[in-house]
Amino acid sequence: MATTARGRPALPQGIGRVTPGWWAFFAATLIVLAFGIVAIIRELTAGMVATGMRDVGTAGGATWGLYISMVVYFIGVSFAGITVAALIRIFDIERLRPIARMAELLTIVSLILGAFAILVDLGQPLRGITNLFGFARPQSPFFGTFSLVIAGYLFASIVYLYLGGRRDAALMAKHPGRLQRFHRWWAAGYKDTEAERRRHYQTSFWLALGIIPLLIVAHSTLGFVFGLQVGRPGWYGTLQAPAFVALAGVSGVGHIIVLAAIIRRLLGAQRRITMEAFSWLGRFLMVLLAVYLYFMVVELLTLLYATPEVEKRLSDALLTGTYAPIYWGSVAALVLPMIALMWQALARRWNVGILVASGVLVNLAAIGKRYLVVVPSQTHGTLLPYEVGSYSPSWVEYGVVLGLFALGALLVGLFIKSFPVLPLEAEEEVSVDA
Amino acid sequence: MAKYGMVVDLERCQGCRACMEACKVENNTTESMFWMYVFRFEEGTYPDTKMSFLPRPCQHCDNAPCVKVCPVGARYKREDGIVLTDPDRCIGCRYCSLACPYGVNYFNYQKPQDAYYALGIDWEDPDVTSVTGGVVPPYKNPDHDLLYGEEQRRTAGGGHAKGVMEKCTFCVHRVENGMLPACVETCPTNALVFGDVSDPDTPISRYVRAREPWHLLEETGTEPSVMYVGGKPPTLALTEIERPKARV
Amino acid sequence: MPKVTRRTFVKTSAVAAGGTALARNYLFGPLDTVAAESPLALQPMVEDVVPTTCWIGKQDCGMLARRVDGRVIKFEGHPANPRNAGTLCPKGQAQIVALYDPNRVKWPLIRTNAKGATGEWRRASWDEALQLVADQVNEVRERDPKAVLWQKGRSKAKKFYDDAFVKSLGSAKMGHGAYCSDVGYRVLEYMIGTHAVLHPDFRYCDYMLSWGWNITGAGGNKTCWLQWPRHMVEAKERGLTITHIDPRLRSAGPFADDWLAIRPGTDLAMALALCHELVAQGFLDRPYLSTYTNAPYLVKPDGSVAKVTVGEGEEAEELALVWDEDAGAAVPFAEATSRALEGSYEIDGEVLRPAFEVFKEHIAQYSPEWAAPITDLPAEKIRQVATDFGEKAQIGSTLVVDGVEVPYRPVGIMAYHVAQQELGFPTLQAMTMVPMLVGAMGAAGGQLSDYSWKIHKNYAKFEKLTVDDPPYDYFLNKSKFFPINTGLPGVVAKVMQDPAKFGVEKLPEVAILHMVNPLNAFPSQPDFLASYGMFKFVAVISPWLSETADYFADVVLPAATIEKYEGPISVNNQYIDGSTLRIPPMDPLFESKGEIDIYMDLTEKMGLLYGEDGYLYQVNKALGLVDDKAEFGVDINSKPQVRDIFDNWARSEGIEEGVAYFEDPGKSVYIKGPVKPTKMYGYATDPPFGGAIHRFYGESLLDAQNQMKEKGAEAIYYQDYNALPTWRPPTMDSSPAEYDLYMISYKLIEHKQARTSFVPLLAELAPGARVDINPVTANRLGIESGDVVTVESHNAVTGETRSIALPAVMCEGIRPDVVGIPHHFGMWTHPVNEGQGSSPNELYFTGEGYTTNTADQSFHVKVRVRKGGEL
Ligand SMILES: Nc1nc2c(c(=O)[nH]1)N[C@H]1C(S)=C(S)[C@@H](COP(=O)(O)OP(=O)(O)OC[C@H]3O[C@@H](n4cnc5c(=O)[nH]c(N)nc54)[C@H](O)[C@@H]3O)O[C@H]1N2
Ligand SMILES: Nc1nc2c(c(=O)[nH]1)N[C@H]1C(S)=C(S)[C@@H](COP(=O)(O)OP(=O)(O)OC[C@H]3O[C@@H](n4cnc5c(=O)[nH]c(N)nc54)[C@H](O)[C@@H]3O)O[C@H]1N2
Ligand code: SF4
Ligand code: SF4
Ligand code: SF4
Ligand code: SF4
Ligand code: SF4
Ligand SMILES: [Mo]
Repeated sequence: MATTARGRPALPQGIGRVTPGWWAFFAATLIVLAFGIVAIIRELTAGMVATGMRDVGTAGGATWGLYISMVVYFIGVSFAGITVAALIRIFDIERLRPIARMAELLTIVSLILGAFAILVDLGQPLRGITNLFGFARPQSPFFGTFSLVIAGYLFASIVYLYLGGRRDAALMAKHPGRLQRFHRWWAAGYKDTEAERRRHYQTSFWLALGIIPLLIVAHSTLGFVFGLQVGRPGWYGTLQAPAFVALAGVSGVGHIIVLAAIIRRLLGAQRRITMEAFSWLGRFLMVLLAVYLYFMVVELLTLLYATPEVEKRLSDALLTGTYAPIYWGSVAALVLPMIALMWQALARRWNVGILVASGVLVNLAAIGKRYLVVVPSQTHGTLLPYEVGSYSPSWVEYGVVLGLFALGALLVGLFIKSFPVLPLEAEEEVSVDA
Repeated sequence: MAKYGMVVDLERCQGCRACMEACKVENNTTESMFWMYVFRFEEGTYPDTKMSFLPRPCQHCDNAPCVKVCPVGARYKREDGIVLTDPDRCIGCRYCSLACPYGVNYFNYQKPQDAYYALGIDWEDPDVTSVTGGVVPPYKNPDHDLLYGEEQRRTAGGGHAKGVMEKCTFCVHRVENGMLPACVETCPTNALVFGDVSDPDTPISRYVRAREPWHLLEETGTEPSVMYVGGKPPTLALTEIERPKARV
Repeated sequence: MPKVTRRTFVKTSAVAAGGTALARNYLFGPLDTVAAESPLALQPMVEDVVPTTCWIGKQDCGMLARRVDGRVIKFEGHPANPRNAGTLCPKGQAQIVALYDPNRVKWPLIRTNAKGATGEWRRASWDEALQLVADQVNEVRERDPKAVLWQKGRSKAKKFYDDAFVKSLGSAKMGHGAYCSDVGYRVLEYMIGTHAVLHPDFRYCDYMLSWGWNITGAGGNKTCWLQWPRHMVEAKERGLTITHIDPRLRSAGPFADDWLAIRPGTDLAMALALCHELVAQGFLDRPYLSTYTNAPYLVKPDGSVAKVTVGEGEEAEELALVWDEDAGAAVPFAEATSRALEGSYEIDGEVLRPAFEVFKEHIAQYSPEWAAPITDLPAEKIRQVATDFGEKAQIGSTLVVDGVEVPYRPVGIMAYHVAQQELGFPTLQAMTMVPMLVGAMGAAGGQLSDYSWKIHKNYAKFEKLTVDDPPYDYFLNKSKFFPINTGLPGVVAKVMQDPAKFGVEKLPEVAILHMVNPLNAFPSQPDFLASYGMFKFVAVISPWLSETADYFADVVLPAATIEKYEGPISVNNQYIDGSTLRIPPMDPLFESKGEIDIYMDLTEKMGLLYGEDGYLYQVNKALGLVDDKAEFGVDINSKPQVRDIFDNWARSEGIEEGVAYFEDPGKSVYIKGPVKPTKMYGYATDPPFGGAIHRFYGESLLDAQNQMKEKGAEAIYYQDYNALPTWRPPTMDSSPAEYDLYMISYKLIEHKQARTSFVPLLAELAPGARVDINPVTANRLGIESGDVVTVESHNAVTGETRSIALPAVMCEGIRPDVVGIPHHFGMWTHPVNEGQGSSPNELYFTGEGYTTNTADQSFHVKVRVRKGGEL
């Protein structure tokens, strides 16, 4: 049994113990985060002229750029987290249970990042919050995205995580230390009685059931942010919403795989997070990928046979023009994992390394695809014969996005260091009791 | 209640861009903001070349996608047909700009004071401020500080502010005072006609009756208040020539 | 105008502040309002309107300046001014930015470094600067007034105060006209007697040749821009057809019904072929030709006109003879009842033929088939234009206009800057003959030129041209080089560099430059660089540090821009006549002053302001405030206010309120009324055409040629002095074959000459120079849109080459053998000029082969273009 320097028994899962490696990790994230903050301050003082975004039309720009791409991406990632968590509850998938909390964590973190990304994308960020409370118009799909996804959905997932974590919090709260107050606060008097357990189980179940349609609605709404735009070629379409949901799943599951693999390694939890769990995740990813690839083929066919001039200009830009590297790069980053996954599924042999690589690739692809949905329809999709536009993110935007990732990593890291990311097991409970 | 509309007569337009300039001065817009924009097109190959011009203000759509998507109601349509932006309400999400098929929205990417032709002109020069009292730009129009319409809201003409969207206001500050919009007023060949389309006796109503007006991007269903006569709807086969300095 | 009173303003801004103060200040985003930012708003707001006129343009459109607390915030077109009828072009709108530009010359500057390079300056008081100019000029003037050269460019309004200055000094005077369309003016003065070029009667015209008229970009005859386009669109709605003859389509925009992309410099061939066809197809208005022109004059085999002398001694008069078919004899023109236009008649052993017969024989060679390869236009096209022109002229028809019956010939030409080519004089001659042949000159719907049929003094002067022996003055007036001379500053620059070559002994020593920027606006730049450095002293009067001032001024006197009086200004738009004044919308900014004040102060310092022949006396004279109007003259012995001068003038015009009339925004344009048909149409004036006999045949030109030969002039000078316009290939065509492209220049609607490229609002719309090139040519040269290309010009006479580099722009609307460059850029003194590129004037040549026979600039040269170069 490990003990801390001061002789107290160590908390399970390395909680509260910051090794030099972790210090280095926190320092690194803080440095990148600081860079992101510098970028944001630059943007706030100079105005959004500091970004690469410009008006659509005469200015030949894209007025939504990397930020909105990242919003869509982050919200997509959050989707899978909560879906997986919900599926685990609904279907009682026992071998995945250890993954549930990290999936929830992922959801919350990516939602927070998404919210920040939206805020930095607003010309008047603080007004964004106050006016949205004061004057929100539910008819606006943007409102839908903002309120449902960021507010409602973030709230729901926090509740979810909270409830799911109460028992562990109560256990942790028994342990003295700096984090005790935090754990106590979380446990909030939880006694782990049977009645409490059942109540939690039921709440979680119903919440899980309830969250699924919310998810679909939320992500479809996000699709509608684009899909309802008659004036933006490439956006208007019925497939937008389902494709959004599918790609959201792909990127989110990819993320869970990566996160699970990292935590498995960090905590030496090979026993807890089994290969079966990975194979389940792999298969799930494969199915989602298949669905998304189907949408993509349909999309490609539409692009190839695009008839209206503007659509043609847009598809040319995507397939052979300015955006071809990102387009085909993304396609490759989806097809390669698909092949790898299929091969593994057929061979019934799952390899964590390949899975992680697939997870990373599909996420790069997801970012690429989100970018391709957001940007080209603005630069190449004007219905009036404006000159073809161009957009490339400025250092400020890259800085902010890096900062967001750093923030995400920091939050995950802090969580891991302050709360059991894997539900506590009997032996760990024992150690706490000791 | 009047219902305002504008006719653009492409058989009269000389592509001179006086309307753009009048709009800029009247509404004190900053560099590279063209609430009114005039396309100049070339088509065909030598010697079978054709040229055409196309002025493009905000279309003040009756079924305005920009209004629909605004999350906070900063973009609104008045009963008289004018579509405005409330600069005190706008959160700067730029959603209207994307929803609009016409590309007429302009966002304040920087502090307007820094964007009044800052390159080469220093309005803060003490010799200038001794004359202008430090007003930036020196031709700043005080009408924009007033409130307009039943709603008594400011309009984007008065709210050039960093991080806020703006666009053509149909010169609401002039129209409410019985004047023509600045672009219409200045057009050297009277290619722009403005007025109340609900009153059959206005020049614009007569124009609409006598000619066959068409709308820009009819297919998008936006139902614009701006109508075109003469010429033909633009296609991507047109090459735009002589673009102004449009990006800051 | 909405009135924003102090009270409503405070009230509303308080509401705005209350309701929105919170929202307004969220995070780095305070909304800037006048209330928040402007100290002005703390004072009561006074709003008013001042009538004024455009400062940028040349037709001085009427404007109303809206002011808030004395600060102009907007210019709008003056609704009562017939020229612009409440409208303004982009330049008119944008000039408000120029007004407040802190880069203006704010106070008198005295040079502190050597000339010939970018200037270094020290701020001086008006007193010091004026004294310096007065001393320097006086020193030279007392020795030789003509050694003082006063130069002005694109003038505005009536030139009374300039003329008064020049007269009171006795100095020499040089203009910009030889770069403008002066050669066109000279042709019309010569042929018709009017001081103008050509425009149609838009109200009734059905068919117009837009001949090098930059319809959508520039002025056309006499105006700045928006007057003719207004008439044009109305005429088009009525059914006017436009055939556009121009190497560029852009100038006509969508308004050309047919585009004849003529090869530059070959308009003479086109015009001659049209004459040929009109004659061949019999589209001739014989009554007009035999009654109002010298076409029936009997011409001797040597080309001179047969004349009789009547009267004796002082009274003696030479009268031209015509063949009177009724009398069957040669009689003086006025006595003939039926003047023969054709045939040949033997009189006293000499075969005499009517000038028209000579003309017919002369143009027999100029068929459309002949012109086709020269102009690079299909012969059928040329023939078709002639047929259309002839048919639509409806020769013989009349129209009753306001109760007056006048010949009706609804065809005409609009031409102006097209005159500025090497063969400009004969070209305009032949072009003018086209409407003459069908009798359209001065007919309803037909060809007009000036706004009236007032006969210019040159008409009589040109009856006999004198060619003197050297020494010549430095303009080469009456020289064997340019017997008809408009005074090209480029030629003066040449003369200054090599006076002996031109037989000139005395050169100008000091220069006063007013509203002119030769170094940038005029070709050829190297010649100005070389010659202006030779002046002992140069004073520049200008609101901007012009490039010429930057390099060569010893003293710069800051002129006001729009904030000064200007006038009297005609508002005649062809159909309505009247006049106006420019009232300053503000006091002059910084330490600048209006020119009239500057000239009064300067002449005062020079001791020339008062008394007989002094500046004030000359002002009275130039404004016509003498003789029967002497009571309106200003006191020539005390310095008046500028406003008083205009007050006197206004009263002299019968306007009782005086200048106050023009200060009242409700009035301010003095409309004399619609132009009566008896004034508008040459046929209907009394006497018809102002009494001038139209010189279809240019006897004195031929005579000048003979005199020039006698004095030993070279062919390159005399070859275009012919009685009838005669084709020859332009000199530039003898440049080596690798100079395979023609370079032309043109105006952009957004810019005015060399006085706007630094106005930021306009520089935003039209940011810089470019080389328009046809994609076929570009392809051949491996050039893509946006590539920097080097354009190199070649002088076919001297072999000199020059080059500039500019970005290329693809243009389908330009001939493949032509490149075009707008001429408004190439300036360097203003920060906004940064990166705007060069002026074609660096490439053009002046002098032999590149000026007309009247000493006017040609804007044509052969060039070659290659990819690459340093911007
Ligand atoms: N916007 C604007 N308007 C102006 C001015 C200005 O600077 N800016 N300046 C004013 C002044 S001072 C003047 S004089 C007038 C001039 O008014 P215009 O004469 O109407 O204008 P330019 O642009 O000088 O005209 C030149 C035209 O001739 C064509 N061209 C060139 N070479 C040839 C040729 O060999 N043959 C033929 N047929 N055409 C040829 C050019 O393509 C161009 O279209 O404009 C006045 N108006
Ligand atoms: N290549 C090429 N060159 C051309 C032409 C062309 O077609 N092609 N066009 C020619 C024609 S048509 C013309 S008319 C000439 C005109 O040539 P310019 O008359 O020389 O040109 P501007 O630019 O009108 O005026 C010259 C200077 O006057 C000064 N100025 C401006 N306003 C005022 C004022 O109010 N008071 C005083 N005192 N000074 C003032 C400014 O410093 C400006 O630089 O250019 C000619 N140049
Ligand atoms: S001002 Fe009139 S003529 Fe000029 S571009 Fe605008 S609409 Fe056309
Ligand atoms: S043109 Fe665009 S901005 Fe204007 S009302 Fe229509 S949709 Fe809105
Ligand atoms: S930018 Fe402003 S006006 Fe436009 S949709 Fe967003 S909040 Fe509404
Ligand atoms: S109506 Fe007013 S705001 Fe709209 S384009 Fe015209 S001048 Fe600009
Ligand atoms: S046409 Fe000429 S005079 Fe009239 S507003 Fe324009 S620049 Fe001024
Ligand atoms: Mo000119």
